[in-house]
Amino acid sequence: MAQPPVRPRVLIIDDEQDVVTYLESVLNDNGFEATGTTDGAEGLALARRLRPDLICLDVVMPPPTGVRVYRDLRGDPALAAIPVVMVTGVQKEFKGFIHHRKLVRPPDAYVSKPFDVAELLATLRRLLPAAASA
Amino acid sequence: MSSCPWLPADRTLLFDEIPCSIVVVDRSYTIVDRNPAFAAIWGDGLGATCHELTRGRPGPCSGCPAEKTFRDGERRVLAQNGRDRHGKPVHTLVHVAPVHDAGGSVSHVAIMSTDLTVTRRLQEEYQTLFEQVPCFVAVVDRDLRVVKANRLFRRVFGEPDGERCYALFKHRQEKCDDCPAERTFGDGGTHTSRHVGVSRAGEETHYLVSTAALQPGDDGPTHVIEMALDLTDLTRLEREKLEAERLAAVGQTVAGLAHGVKNMLTGLEGGMYVTSTGLKRGDPKRTSQGWEMLERNIGRISSLVKSLLAFSRGEGPRPSRFDPGEVVREIHDLFCQSAARHGVELRVDAGAAPVGPVVMDRDGLRSCLENLVSNALDACLVSGPAPCVIDMRLLERDGTVTFEVADSGCGMDYDVKQKVFTSFFSTKGAGGTGLGLLLTRKFVQQHGGTITFDSTPGRGTTFRLSFPRQRLPELPPEGGPGATDPECGSSRRQ
Repeated sequence: MAQPPVRPRVLIIDDEQDVVTYLESVLNDNGFEATGTTDGAEGLALARRLRPDLICLDVVMPPPTGVRVYRDLRGDPALAAIPVVMVTGVQKEFKGFIHHRKLVRPPDAYVSKPFDVAELLATLRRLLPAAASA
Repeated sequence: MSSCPWLPADRTLLFDEIPCSIVVVDRSYTIVDRNPAFAAIWGDGLGATCHELTRGRPGPCSGCPAEKTFRDGERRVLAQNGRDRHGKPVHTLVHVAPVHDAGGSVSHVAIMSTDLTVTRRLQEEYQTLFEQVPCFVAVVDRDLRVVKANRLFRRVFGEPDGERCYALFKHRQEKCDDCPAERTFGDGGTHTSRHVGVSRAGEETHYLVSTAALQPGDDGPTHVIEMALDLTDLTRLEREKLEAERLAAVGQTVAGLAHGVKNMLTGLEGGMYVTSTGLKRGDPKRTSQGWEMLERNIGRISSLVKSLLAFSRGEGPRPSRFDPGEVVREIHDLFCQSAARHGVELRVDAGAAPVGPVVMDRDGLRSCLENLVSNALDACLVSGPAPCVIDMRLLERDGTVTFEVADSGCGMDYDVKQKVFTSFFSTKGAGGTGLGLLLTRKFVQQHGGTITFDSTPGRGTTFRLSFPRQRLPELPPEGGPGATDPECGSSRRQ
């Protein structure tokens, strides 16, 4: 009997509970296994515990902000290789900021709020080829 | 005392004491007498010739005034420059007068010199100051005609040529309405006001004019000095700074608004997605979850729009007279249960002395205190498991009524403090519109008060709203909008 395909695990960190719910619903409906949190510090802890295949991260959040969380993710050797998709309403400003900080590797992709579901799924599938067939 | 044969005895005292030097020479220019003031400058001098003593010359000076007076018997007055016996420059005003013998001939000449050295030096210093001071200086007469102007004035506005100051400064045909020079002519005092003028090149100039009386006479000053400090560059920089701040505020507001709206739109789209997929699958739990998301985000948009309207509308406060302690207690009652549920103690400190009724916008004050206590509660929730306390205080000191909300929560770091009164800045993420403290500040300013805060990271924050009673709004006329029933102490506007 064939094994069911492995669902890539996605961690969502966004201070807006409704955005977390939306992303969890969309991703769980489309072949991913999504878990979310509205707290940046808890998001980091979940990342260390769950070791997700990809992280969707908001930028503008109460401390620790998305920028801080992103730097901590990239600074942790155990997490640094996990692809990060920035889901944000301030994409332009954040891009400018992160690209001027040479010490930090830029995020793997950006998705703007309000996001297009098809575009979001295409981005995640590009970063997680294992999910492409899901 | 001298014994002058040519002076009446009763005048020898004057000769000795007069505060100018007097020397008497005969026709050979030999000094036959001098007063102590002369001796103080030139030494004893008796028996010497005046040209030897004062100029070191062997013979009479060219154009010697004494020689002319010996010749024609006329009095004369002239300014002379020379050097004293120590070689220092001396400036004198010289009066030369003939002394006649019994036969009526000029036998001697009296030379009276007033030392103007100090006066001359002061004049030169004044002239240097007048010319070199880095502001426009003009002296005007009662007709406001410029009789003297310094170098900077002449360079920017041209030679005065008797023109009136308003014509030179502003190219006006009539005097200025708020002319400080005219006020100085009227009361002899010093006056200052800010003006806009036009340079000779037609450029706008900004200057601060101070006027002071010169040459006071019986009927007031005959002249006034106008000193104008050029503020043109400063004014331009002020304008540029204001414009930059305005643009930054607009940009920040638009960016903040866009970010908030994007999040709400995402929430709405999420609600639609979850609701529609729930309906398709016949999953009532999921449908209900999506519907709640829709309701919540519509509510947030509604709240944001209301806050924006409240912030932007020009409507003033609607004052009524009420007991401020009552409002504090209402806010305590509103929040104490929810605070307790989160392990936060909300206390009211009524202070040592009761605070009497105030005339303010009651609803506005209530909103402000609600906002401050809500923020304090959030700060306590973020601060962690340690017991947290919020103290509300009402006190009055020196006619100023102060409302304080102090929490022992997480406090604010430098960056957060800088943004506290910035539109759309919130540490609460989805929980705040970022307009609460802006609305509070607007309310406080409308009531002539001030809002201040102290905050230490990890130790807590205290916000203070202080209202000097004399700056509170007036109670509207009885029966007018917002009028209050003093019996019940509440506004009729409900």
